[in-house]
Amino acid sequence: MDRAVLTFVLWLGIYLPAVFAEGNRDFMRETGKIYVVVATLLVILLGIVGYLIRLERRLTKLEHQTKDDA
Amino acid sequence: MKWWKIASVVLLVYTFTAGLLVPLKSGIERVEPAVAATKQSLAIRFFGYNTFFTRPAEEPIRVWLYYNDRYALQARQVKPLNDTILEATFQMPANLPDGKSFVLLNALVDHPAAGASLLPAALTLRQVDSAEASLDRAWTDNPVTGLHLQRGFSFPYQNILYETIRNTYFHVPMWFVLLFLFAASVFYSIKYLHRPEVDLDRRAAAYAEVGILFGILGLLSGMVWANYTWGKPWSNDIKQLMTAAALLVYAAYFVLRGSFSDPEKSARLAAVYNIFAFASLVPLLYILPRMFDSLHPGATGNPAFGTQDLDNTMRAVFYPAIAGWTLLGFWIADLRIRYQRLRDKALGLD
Repeated sequence: MDRAVLTFVLWLGIYLPAVFAEGNRDFMRETGKIYVVVATLLVILLGIVGYLIRLERRLTKLEHQTKDDA
Repeated sequence: MKWWKIASVVLLVYTFTAGLLVPLKSGIERVEPAVAATKQSLAIRFFGYNTFFTRPAEEPIRVWLYYNDRYALQARQVKPLNDTILEATFQMPANLPDGKSFVLLNALVDHPAAGASLLPAALTLRQVDSAEASLDRAWTDNPVTGLHLQRGFSFPYQNILYETIRNTYFHVPMWFVLLFLFAASVFYSIKYLHRPEVDLDRRAAAYAEVGILFGILGLLSGMVWANYTWGKPWSNDIKQLMTAAALLVYAAYFVLRGSFSDPEKSARLAAVYNIFAFASLVPLLYILPRMFDSLHPGATGNPAFGTQDLDNTMRAVFYPAIAGWTLLGFWIADLRIRYQRLRDKALGLD
Protein backbone atom coordinates (compact mmCIF):
# COMPACT_ATOMS: atom_id res chain seq x y z
CA MET A 1 0.00 0.00 0.00
CA ASP A 2 2.78 2.40 0.98
CA ARG A 3 4.61 1.76 -2.25
CA ALA A 4 1.47 2.60 -4.19
CA VAL A 5 1.13 5.88 -2.30
CA LEU A 6 4.77 6.73 -2.97
CA THR A 7 4.40 5.97 -6.67
CA PHE A 8 1.31 8.14 -6.81
CA VAL A 9 3.10 11.07 -5.14
CA LEU A 10 6.04 10.71 -7.52
CA TRP A 11 3.64 10.56 -10.44
CA LEU A 12 1.96 13.74 -9.21
CA GLY A 13 5.32 15.43 -8.81
CA ILE A 14 6.78 14.48 -12.18
CA TYR A 15 3.88 13.96 -14.52
CA LEU A 16 1.69 16.93 -13.62
CA PRO A 17 4.35 19.65 -13.99
CA ALA A 18 5.30 18.06 -17.33
CA VAL A 19 1.71 18.36 -18.51
CA PHE A 20 1.52 21.99 -17.52
CA ALA A 21 4.95 22.75 -18.91
CA GLU A 22 3.77 21.69 -22.36
CA GLY A 23 4.30 24.14 -25.18
CA ASN A 24 7.47 25.46 -23.56
CA ARG A 25 5.52 27.58 -21.09
CA ASP A 26 7.18 27.86 -17.73
CA PHE A 27 4.33 26.80 -15.50
CA MET A 28 6.13 27.55 -12.24
CA ARG A 29 7.09 31.09 -13.23
CA GLU A 30 3.63 32.05 -14.46
CA THR A 31 0.85 33.82 -12.56
CA GLY A 32 3.22 35.59 -10.23
CA LYS A 33 5.11 32.37 -9.30
CA ILE A 34 2.21 31.35 -7.04
CA TYR A 35 2.91 27.66 -7.74
CA VAL A 36 6.30 28.06 -6.06
CA VAL A 37 4.36 28.79 -2.87
CA VAL A 38 2.21 25.71 -3.52
CA ALA A 39 5.33 23.56 -4.01
CA THR A 40 6.93 24.95 -0.84
CA LEU A 41 3.79 24.17 1.14
CA LEU A 42 3.61 20.66 -0.32
CA VAL A 43 7.22 19.96 0.67
CA ILE A 44 6.52 21.04 4.25
CA LEU A 45 3.20 19.22 4.58
CA LEU A 46 4.45 16.00 2.95
CA GLY A 47 7.52 16.09 5.21
CA ILE A 48 5.40 16.40 8.34
CA VAL A 49 2.97 13.72 7.15
CA GLY A 50 5.91 11.45 6.29
CA TYR A 51 7.26 11.82 9.83
CA LEU A 52 3.83 11.06 11.30
CA ILE A 53 3.46 7.95 9.12
CA ARG A 54 6.84 6.71 10.39
CA LEU A 55 5.79 7.34 13.97
CA GLU A 56 2.50 5.55 13.43
CA ARG A 57 4.27 2.53 11.99
CA ARG A 58 6.51 2.31 15.04
CA LEU A 59 3.41 2.54 17.21
CA THR A 60 1.71 -0.28 15.33
CA LYS A 61 4.80 -2.43 15.80
CA LEU A 62 4.81 -1.65 19.50
CA GLU A 63 1.11 -2.51 19.75
CA HIS A 64 1.77 -5.92 18.18
CA GLN A 65 4.67 -6.54 20.55
CA THR A 66 2.69 -5.69 23.68
CA LYS A 67 -0.19 -7.81 22.42
CA ASP A 68 2.12 -10.79 22.06
CA ASP A 69 3.39 -10.31 25.62
CA ALA A 70 -0.07 -10.14 27.13
CA MET B 1 -6.78 18.02 24.09
CA LYS B 2 -4.50 20.69 25.50
CA TRP B 3 -5.30 24.35 24.83
CA TRP B 4 -2.06 25.00 22.99
CA LYS B 5 -2.81 22.29 20.44
CA ILE B 6 -6.08 24.03 19.62
CA ALA B 7 -4.18 27.33 19.50
CA SER B 8 -1.77 25.79 17.01
CA VAL B 9 -4.64 24.79 14.70
CA VAL B 10 -6.30 28.22 14.98
CA LEU B 11 -3.05 30.07 14.29
CA LEU B 12 -2.17 27.85 11.33
CA VAL B 13 -5.63 28.23 9.81
CA TYR B 14 -5.21 32.00 10.14
CA THR B 15 -1.70 31.80 8.63
CA PHE B 16 -2.87 29.80 5.63
CA THR B 17 -5.96 31.94 5.03
CA ALA B 18 -4.37 35.37 5.42
CA GLY B 19 -1.02 34.28 4.02
CA LEU B 20 -2.53 32.95 0.81
CA LEU B 21 -5.53 35.23 0.25
CA VAL B 22 -4.32 38.78 1.03
CA PRO B 23 -3.43 40.35 -2.34
CA LEU B 24 -0.09 41.86 -3.29
CA LYS B 25 0.28 45.60 -3.80
CA SER B 26 0.34 46.91 -7.36
CA GLY B 27 3.77 46.77 -8.95
CA ILE B 28 5.58 47.51 -12.20
CA GLU B 29 7.09 44.47 -13.86
CA ARG B 30 8.99 46.18 -16.70
CA VAL B 31 8.86 49.07 -19.14
CA GLU B 32 9.19 48.92 -22.92
CA PRO B 33 11.33 50.20 -24.53
CA ALA B 34 13.93 50.03 -21.76
CA VAL B 35 16.41 52.26 -23.62
CA ALA B 36 15.85 55.83 -24.82
CA ALA B 37 17.94 58.75 -26.11
CA THR B 38 17.92 62.42 -25.20
CA LYS B 39 15.60 64.77 -27.17
CA GLN B 40 13.51 61.75 -28.16
CA SER B 41 9.75 61.89 -27.89
CA LEU B 42 8.36 58.43 -27.28
CA ALA B 43 5.54 56.40 -25.80
CA ILE B 44 6.72 54.00 -23.12
CA ARG B 45 4.62 51.04 -22.03
CA PHE B 46 4.51 50.28 -18.32
CA PHE B 47 3.57 46.65 -17.57
CA GLY B 48 1.86 46.36 -14.22
CA TYR B 49 1.33 43.48 -11.82
CA ASN B 50 -1.93 43.38 -9.81
CA THR B 51 -2.86 46.74 -11.32
CA PHE B 52 -6.23 48.05 -12.46
CA PHE B 53 -5.32 50.99 -14.70
CA THR B 54 -8.69 51.19 -16.46
CA ARG B 55 -10.78 51.30 -13.31
CA PRO B 56 -12.26 54.82 -12.91
CA ALA B 57 -10.56 56.88 -10.20
CA GLU B 58 -11.20 60.33 -8.79
CA GLU B 59 -7.72 61.55 -9.76
CA PRO B 60 -5.59 60.84 -12.82
CA ILE B 61 -2.76 58.30 -12.80
CA ARG B 62 0.61 60.06 -12.80
CA VAL B 63 3.83 58.60 -14.17
CA TRP B 64 7.46 59.60 -13.65
CA LEU B 65 10.88 58.46 -14.71
CA TYR B 66 13.10 59.73 -11.96
CA TYR B 67 16.82 59.89 -11.41
CA ASN B 68 17.00 61.00 -7.77
CA ASP B 69 15.25 63.30 -5.30
CA ARG B 70 16.15 66.36 -7.37
CA TYR B 71 15.65 65.25 -10.94
CA ALA B 72 12.52 63.61 -12.32
CA LEU B 73 10.69 63.58 -15.64
CA GLN B 74 6.91 63.45 -15.63
CA ALA B 75 4.95 61.88 -18.47
CA ARG B 76 3.07 64.41 -20.59
CA GLN B 77 0.28 62.04 -21.35
CA VAL B 78 -0.87 58.81 -19.69
CA LYS B 79 -3.17 56.36 -21.41
CA PRO B 80 -4.25 52.99 -19.94
CA LEU B 81 -4.40 50.33 -22.68
CA ASN B 82 -5.88 47.75 -20.31
CA ASP B 83 -5.69 46.92 -16.63
CA THR B 84 -2.05 45.93 -16.75
CA ILE B 85 -0.56 48.07 -19.54
CA LEU B 86 -0.17 51.82 -19.29
CA GLU B 87 1.18 53.93 -22.14
CA ALA B 88 2.99 57.09 -21.04
CA THR B 89 4.37 59.65 -23.48
CA PHE B 90 7.62 61.38 -22.55
CA GLN B 91 9.57 64.22 -24.13
CA MET B 92 13.13 63.40 -23.22
CA PRO B 93 15.27 66.45 -22.30
CA ALA B 94 18.31 67.54 -24.27
CA ASN B 95 20.88 66.72 -21.62
CA LEU B 96 21.45 64.58 -18.55
CA PRO B 97 22.07 65.61 -14.93
CA ASP B 98 25.65 65.80 -13.65
CA GLY B 99 26.92 65.78 -17.27
CA LYS B 100 26.69 61.99 -17.49
CA SER B 101 26.73 60.05 -20.76
CA PHE B 102 23.87 57.82 -19.62
CA VAL B 103 21.62 57.51 -16.57
CA LEU B 104 19.44 54.74 -15.17
CA LEU B 105 15.95 56.00 -14.41
CA ASN B 106 13.46 54.50 -11.96
CA ALA B 107 9.89 54.07 -13.10
CA LEU B 108 7.20 55.41 -10.79
CA VAL B 109 3.45 55.05 -11.27
CA ASP B 110 1.15 56.81 -8.83
CA HIS B 111 -2.41 55.53 -8.77
CA PRO B 112 -4.96 57.31 -6.52
CA ALA B 113 -6.33 54.04 -5.11
CA ALA B 114 -3.55 51.49 -5.63
CA GLY B 115 -0.82 53.83 -4.38
CA ALA B 116 2.66 54.43 -5.76
CA SER B 117 4.64 51.59 -7.31
CA LEU B 118 8.29 51.74 -8.22
CA LEU B 119 10.61 49.81 -10.51
CA PRO B 120 14.27 50.65 -9.87
CA ALA B 121 16.62 51.09 -12.87
CA ALA B 122 13.78 50.57 -15.32
CA LEU B 123 15.10 52.59 -18.24
CA THR B 124 18.49 53.67 -19.58
CA LEU B 125 18.59 57.18 -21.00
CA ARG B 126 21.60 57.84 -23.27
CA GLN B 127 23.08 61.20 -24.17
CA VAL B 128 23.23 61.82 -27.92
CA ASP B 129 24.79 64.91 -29.54
CA SER B 130 26.88 67.21 -27.44
CA ALA B 131 25.42 68.26 -24.13
CA GLU B 132 24.20 71.79 -23.71
CA ALA B 133 25.65 73.90 -20.93
CA SER B 134 22.52 74.42 -18.85
CA LEU B 135 20.36 71.54 -17.65
CA ASP B 136 16.97 71.15 -19.24
CA ARG B 137 14.16 72.47 -17.04
CA ALA B 138 12.13 69.33 -17.73
CA TRP B 139 14.19 67.61 -15.00
CA THR B 140 12.98 69.93 -12.25
CA ASP B 141 9.66 71.33 -13.49
CA ASN B 142 7.48 68.45 -12.30
CA PRO B 143 8.94 67.00 -9.10
CA VAL B 144 7.55 63.82 -7.55
CA THR B 145 4.99 65.03 -5.00
CA GLY B 146 1.75 63.96 -3.35
CA LEU B 147 2.21 60.22 -3.78
CA HIS B 148 -0.70 58.04 -2.70
CA LEU B 149 -0.66 55.15 -0.28
CA GLN B 150 -2.63 52.01 -0.93
CA ARG B 151 -5.68 51.59 1.22
CA GLY B 152 -6.49 48.22 2.71
CA PHE B 153 -4.54 45.14 3.70
CA SER B 154 -1.93 43.95 1.22
CA PHE B 155 1.57 42.48 1.04
CA PRO B 156 4.49 44.30 -0.60
CA TYR B 157 5.23 43.72 -4.26
CA GLN B 158 8.85 42.85 -4.95
CA ASN B 159 10.37 42.10 -8.31
CA ILE B 160 11.64 38.51 -8.72
CA LEU B 161 9.71 37.45 -5.60
CA TYR B 162 6.16 38.22 -6.76
CA GLU B 163 3.72 35.93 -4.90
CA THR B 164 6.53 33.89 -3.36
CA ILE B 165 6.84 36.60 -0.72
CA ARG B 166 4.13 34.50 0.94
CA ASN B 167 6.77 31.85 1.63
CA THR B 168 7.81 34.11 4.51
CA TYR B 169 4.98 32.47 6.46
CA PHE B 170 5.95 28.92 5.54
CA HIS B 171 9.70 28.66 4.95
CA VAL B 172 10.99 31.20 7.49
CA PRO B 173 9.03 29.89 10.56
CA MET B 174 10.75 26.49 10.08
CA TRP B 175 13.92 28.07 11.49
CA PHE B 176 12.06 29.49 14.47
CA VAL B 177 10.55 26.07 15.20
CA LEU B 178 14.01 24.53 14.94
CA LEU B 179 15.46 27.07 17.37
CA PHE B 180 12.67 26.66 19.93
CA LEU B 181 12.78 22.85 19.74
CA PHE B 182 16.56 22.73 20.09
CA ALA B 183 16.29 25.17 23.01
CA ALA B 184 13.74 22.89 24.68
CA SER B 185 16.04 19.95 23.99
CA VAL B 186 19.06 21.55 25.64
CA PHE B 187 16.84 22.69 28.54
CA TYR B 188 15.90 19.08 29.28
CA SER B 189 19.49 17.91 28.79
CA ILE B 190 20.68 20.33 31.44
CA LYS B 191 17.85 19.22 33.69
CA TYR B 192 18.88 15.60 33.12
CA LEU B 193 22.47 16.31 34.15
CA HIS B 194 21.11 17.92 37.27
CA ARG B 195 18.69 15.12 38.06
CA PRO B 196 19.12 11.93 35.97
CA GLU B 197 15.57 10.80 35.22
CA VAL B 198 14.81 8.77 32.09
CA ASP B 199 11.87 10.97 31.14
CA LEU B 200 14.04 14.11 30.94
CA ASP B 201 16.39 12.34 28.55
CA ARG B 202 13.46 11.13 26.43
CA ARG B 203 12.23 14.71 26.13
CA ALA B 204 15.64 16.05 25.14
CA ALA B 205 15.98 13.40 22.42
CA ALA B 206 12.45 13.90 21.04
CA TYR B 207 12.78 17.70 20.80
CA ALA B 208 16.12 17.34 19.02
CA GLU B 209 14.67 14.80 16.58
CA VAL B 210 11.67 16.92 15.65
CA GLY B 211 13.98 19.96 15.48
CA ILE B 212 16.03 18.15 12.83
CA LEU B 213 12.81 17.34 10.94
CA PHE B 214 11.94 21.03 10.77
CA GLY B 215 15.51 21.89 9.82
CA ILE B 216 15.33 19.47 6.87
CA LEU B 217 11.93 20.89 5.87
CA GLY B 218 13.33 24.43 6.08
CA LEU B 219 16.28 23.44 3.92
CA LEU B 220 14.12 21.66 1.31
CA SER B 221 11.43 24.35 1.16
CA GLY B 222 14.21 26.94 0.85
CA MET B 223 15.67 25.01 -2.09
CA VAL B 224 12.32 25.05 -3.90
CA TRP B 225 12.02 28.80 -3.31
CA ALA B 226 15.66 29.44 -4.28
CA ASN B 227 15.27 27.56 -7.55
CA TYR B 228 12.74 30.11 -8.80
CA THR B 229 14.22 33.27 -7.28
CA TRP B 230 18.00 32.77 -7.23
CA GLY B 231 18.02 30.52 -10.30
CA LYS B 232 19.23 27.28 -8.71
CA PRO B 233 18.31 25.26 -5.62
CA TRP B 234 21.76 25.31 -4.01
CA SER B 235 24.03 28.34 -4.35
CA ASN B 236 26.46 27.55 -1.51
CA ASP B 237 24.98 30.54 0.23
CA ILE B 238 26.47 31.02 3.69
CA LYS B 239 23.14 30.37 5.39
CA GLN B 240 22.55 27.18 3.39
CA LEU B 241 26.02 25.88 4.26
CA MET B 242 25.87 26.79 7.94
CA THR B 243 22.41 25.26 8.29
CA ALA B 244 23.62 22.02 6.73
CA ALA B 245 26.54 22.07 9.17
CA ALA B 246 24.21 22.68 12.14
CA LEU B 247 22.00 19.75 11.09
CA LEU B 248 25.07 17.52 10.86
CA VAL B 249 26.08 18.56 14.40
CA TYR B 250 22.65 17.44 15.59
CA ALA B 251 22.77 14.26 13.50
CA ALA B 252 25.96 13.41 15.41
CA TYR B 253 23.94 13.74 18.63
CA PHE B 254 21.88 10.72 17.57
CA VAL B 255 24.93 8.79 16.42
CA LEU B 256 26.38 9.38 19.88
CA ARG B 257 23.16 8.24 21.58
CA GLY B 258 23.15 5.01 19.59
CA SER B 259 26.78 4.12 20.16
CA PHE B 260 26.57 3.06 23.81
CA SER B 261 24.97 -0.11 25.10
CA ASP B 262 24.56 1.32 28.60
CA PRO B 263 21.49 3.57 28.37
CA GLU B 264 22.47 5.66 31.40
CA LYS B 265 25.95 6.40 30.06
CA SER B 266 24.53 7.16 26.64
CA ALA B 267 21.99 9.59 28.08
CA ARG B 268 24.58 11.42 30.17
CA LEU B 269 27.10 11.81 27.35
CA ALA B 270 24.35 12.84 24.92
CA ALA B 271 23.18 15.50 27.35
CA VAL B 272 26.69 16.94 27.59
CA TYR B 273 27.09 16.84 23.82
CA ASN B 274 23.69 18.53 23.39
CA ILE B 275 24.95 21.57 25.33
CA PHE B 276 27.89 21.86 22.93
CA ALA B 277 25.60 21.35 19.94
CA PHE B 278 23.30 24.15 21.05
CA ALA B 279 26.25 26.40 21.76
CA SER B 280 27.50 25.83 18.20
CA LEU B 281 24.04 26.57 16.79
CA VAL B 282 24.18 30.25 17.69
CA PRO B 283 27.37 31.11 15.76
CA LEU B 284 26.43 28.77 12.89
CA LEU B 285 22.95 30.18 12.29
CA TYR B 286 23.01 33.68 13.75
CA ILE B 287 26.53 35.09 13.78
CA LEU B 288 28.54 33.65 10.88
CA PRO B 289 25.86 34.25 8.20
CA ARG B 290 25.82 37.94 9.09
CA MET B 291 29.55 38.29 8.58
CA PHE B 292 29.53 37.24 4.95
CA ASP B 293 27.69 38.27 1.82
CA SER B 294 24.54 36.26 1.39
CA LEU B 295 21.60 35.98 -0.96
CA HIS B 296 19.36 35.87 2.08
CA PRO B 297 17.93 39.09 3.43
CA GLY B 298 19.58 40.11 6.66
CA ALA B 299 23.12 39.51 5.38
CA THR B 300 26.18 41.56 6.30
CA GLY B 301 25.01 42.83 9.64
CA ASN B 302 21.45 43.96 9.28
CA PRO B 303 18.79 41.77 10.82
CA ALA B 304 16.19 40.59 8.32
CA PHE B 305 13.42 42.44 10.10
CA GLY B 306 13.90 45.87 8.56
CA THR B 307 10.99 47.62 6.90
CA GLN B 308 12.47 46.59 3.52
CA ASP B 309 11.86 42.90 4.16
CA LEU B 310 8.87 42.84 6.45
CA ASP B 311 6.23 45.55 6.61
CA ASN B 312 3.46 45.84 9.16
CA THR B 313 0.87 43.85 7.21
CA MET B 314 3.37 41.02 6.89
CA ARG B 315 4.13 41.12 10.60
CA ALA B 316 0.40 40.64 11.30
CA VAL B 317 0.69 37.23 9.60
CA PHE B 318 4.34 36.39 10.26
CA TYR B 319 4.27 36.42 14.07
CA PRO B 320 1.10 34.25 14.35
CA ALA B 321 2.70 31.94 11.76
CA ILE B 322 5.78 31.49 13.95
CA ALA B 323 3.60 30.73 16.98
CA GLY B 324 1.36 28.30 15.04
CA TRP B 325 4.21 26.33 13.46
CA THR B 326 6.12 26.24 16.75
CA LEU B 327 3.15 24.82 18.64
CA LEU B 328 2.71 22.23 15.87
CA GLY B 329 6.37 21.26 16.29
CA PHE B 330 5.90 20.81 20.03
CA TRP B 331 2.74 18.79 19.36
CA ILE B 332 4.62 16.37 17.12
CA ALA B 333 7.43 16.17 19.68
CA ASP B 334 4.83 15.41 22.34
CA LEU B 335 3.61 12.40 20.33
CA ARG B 336 7.21 11.25 19.92
CA ILE B 337 7.82 11.49 23.69
CA ARG B 338 4.68 9.52 24.47
CA TYR B 339 5.61 6.79 22.00
CA GLN B 340 9.07 6.50 23.54
CA ARG B 341 7.55 6.28 27.05
CA LEU B 342 5.34 3.35 25.97
CA ARG B 343 8.20 1.63 24.23
CA ASP B 344 10.56 1.96 27.19
CA LYS B 345 7.84 0.58 29.43
CA ALA B 346 7.24 -2.37 27.08
CA LEU B 347 10.95 -3.14 27.00
CA GLY B 348 11.18 -2.82 30.75
CA LEU B 349 13.64 0.07 30.62
CA ASP B 350 11.60 2.42 32.73
